[in-house]
Amino acid sequence: MNKHVKISAENVSKEFIQKGTQRVPVLKDISLQVFDQELLVVLGPGQSGKTTLLRIIAGLEKPTQGRITLDGEEIRGPGPDRGLVFQSYMLFPWKTVEANVRLGLEMAQVPKEKHAETVRHYLDLVGLNGFEKYYPHQLSGGMKQRVGIARAFSTQPKVMLMDEPFGQLDAQTRLFMERETERIWLSDKRTTIFITNNIDEALLLGDRIVTLEGKLPGRMKKSYEVNLPRPRDPMDMEFLKLRHTITSEQELTL
Amino acid sequence: MSKSTHDVSNEVVVRTIVRKRLTLRSLVREEKFLYVVSLVVFFTIWHLAATRGNGDSALVTPWATLQGLYDMMSSPLGGETLVGHTWNSLRRVLIGFSIAVCFGIPLGLLLGISETASAILRPLVDVFRPMPPLAWISLSILWFGIGEEPKIFIIFLASFIPSVLNAYNGVRLIEPELYDVVRVMGGSRWDEIKQVVVPASMPAISAGLQLSITSAWMGVLAAELVSSNSGLGYIIILGMQNSDPQMVLGGMVMIAAVAWVLTASMEKIDMMLCPWRREIKGL
Ligand SMILES: Nc1ncnc2c1ncn2[C@@H]1O[C@H](COP(=O)(O)OP(=O)(O)OP(=O)(O)O)[C@@H](O)[C@H]1O
Ligand SMILES: [Mg+2]
Repeated sequence: MNKHVKISAENVSKEFIQKGTQRVPVLKDISLQVFDQELLVVLGPGQSGKTTLLRIIAGLEKPTQGRITLDGEEIRGPGPDRGLVFQSYMLFPWKTVEANVRLGLEMAQVPKEKHAETVRHYLDLVGLNGFEKYYPHQLSGGMKQRVGIARAFSTQPKVMLMDEPFGQLDAQTRLFMERETERIWLSDKRTTIFITNNIDEALLLGDRIVTLEGKLPGRMKKSYEVNLPRPRDPMDMEFLKLRHTITSEQELTL
Repeated sequence: MSKSTHDVSNEVVVRTIVRKRLTLRSLVREEKFLYVVSLVVFFTIWHLAATRGNGDSALVTPWATLQGLYDMMSSPLGGETLVGHTWNSLRRVLIGFSIAVCFGIPLGLLLGISETASAILRPLVDVFRPMPPLAWISLSILWFGIGEEPKIFIIFLASFIPSVLNAYNGVRLIEPELYDVVRVMGGSRWDEIKQVVVPASMPAISAGLQLSITSAWMGVLAAELVSSNSGLGYIIILGMQNSDPQMVLGGMVMIAAVAWVLTASMEKIDMMLCPWRREIKGL
């Protein structure tokens, strides 16, 4: 496997100032490497700074200390080379499915003739052809997040950042979307950072899992290689063993 | 069309559910029936009230009101028919309202977007906001005389504040993460305004338009009641001076009718401005 480092975080810490004066440390000394074509899962409990970490990588927040590089260059702000899938979808309710996906193309000043084709390509990829003219409020949660994924893909980012994308879905749809994510990821091996608080989701998807400690500020705890063949079976012995290891080590910190 | 596996989880929320329609429809029928009953009772009471007494009552029957309306449409009053007077009022409203909206909405958006603009202009808005537009009538006549200008000025004032405030609140209620969507894609500040600020505040802006047009219509009548020689407000005053209840009631009916048309048009405009809400509203 190609071990080219795509994203590298070096001692990243983040403090927020709340209520004017109160300093809240949210991330502490995060060092992390994401390799090219890797699907890295960041596993952490609720309120452990997961979203903040992803937003720093996206360039939407600045780290208080440390730095993050993408292909060796320091990240200084947001840009279309990183696609972000939001925890709460963040579709534009005034735009149709098609127009939501087209948004990135309009801003990247892709020539108009190419829009239709690109939009169709990514809607196909997420299995939404036939729903181009629907508005977000007409879609189920799983479909909304597919639009979110297609939209993030449309600018052809170097890395995909997915923030608990299926946290709001029911168990069945969630499992289905996880399979879909695996299928899409296998189809072009786009480097992906996938955030979750769900251990099964982490084990189904990750090439590697890094865990965040439970209390603020979030710290990196451990890293696990998941060397199981895909598609993975949650009832498989190896799967369950690793699940047990991670759960018990995770619980120690709580 | 081929059914691939992933079509399975594509459930679409379609709002017109057949099962619901049946109960809904019968409900609507029932409501319509009650609606008609209510109106019939109202007009009967009106009629009885008007025919009681010695015929010198200040109230005329619904039928006489309709006749009065017809007469005023065919024979001119103060140089114009009722249609002409209606148009005079309406024209003033449309001019004042358009000016107010053209300045008010951009100003409201600006206040919402820019902290500096808000810091400078909000105090002014706050000073003028509680002042009822009608309080300006005397001043505006002093400033502008008795022509069209004072009336248009009153209408402008009446519709300006709701336009500003609704646009402003529309911007302030925008979910901040929506901006992040644009920023992550490499969009500029201008993209944020074009792609998020304007469309996301459109429902609030549209609600502001409805408020503005209603208050503009009240404004024009008040201005015409005070000083005018044309318009629906003038008709009512003329009827009062001539002790002609037919004329007053006819004018009132026309005022209500125009108000209804204005409100209905604004709802149409709302549908055009916010097409994505069509189904949501039907819920
Ligand atoms: N912009 C901000 N300003 C101030 N404080 C913030 C900001 N963003 C996050 N925080 C603080 O950081 C904490 C952790 O936030 P974050 O959303 O990163 O955690 P999370 O692990 O993604 O949580 P969740 O499981 O709920 O998604 C929050 O509780 C909040 O107090
Ligand atoms: Mg989060």
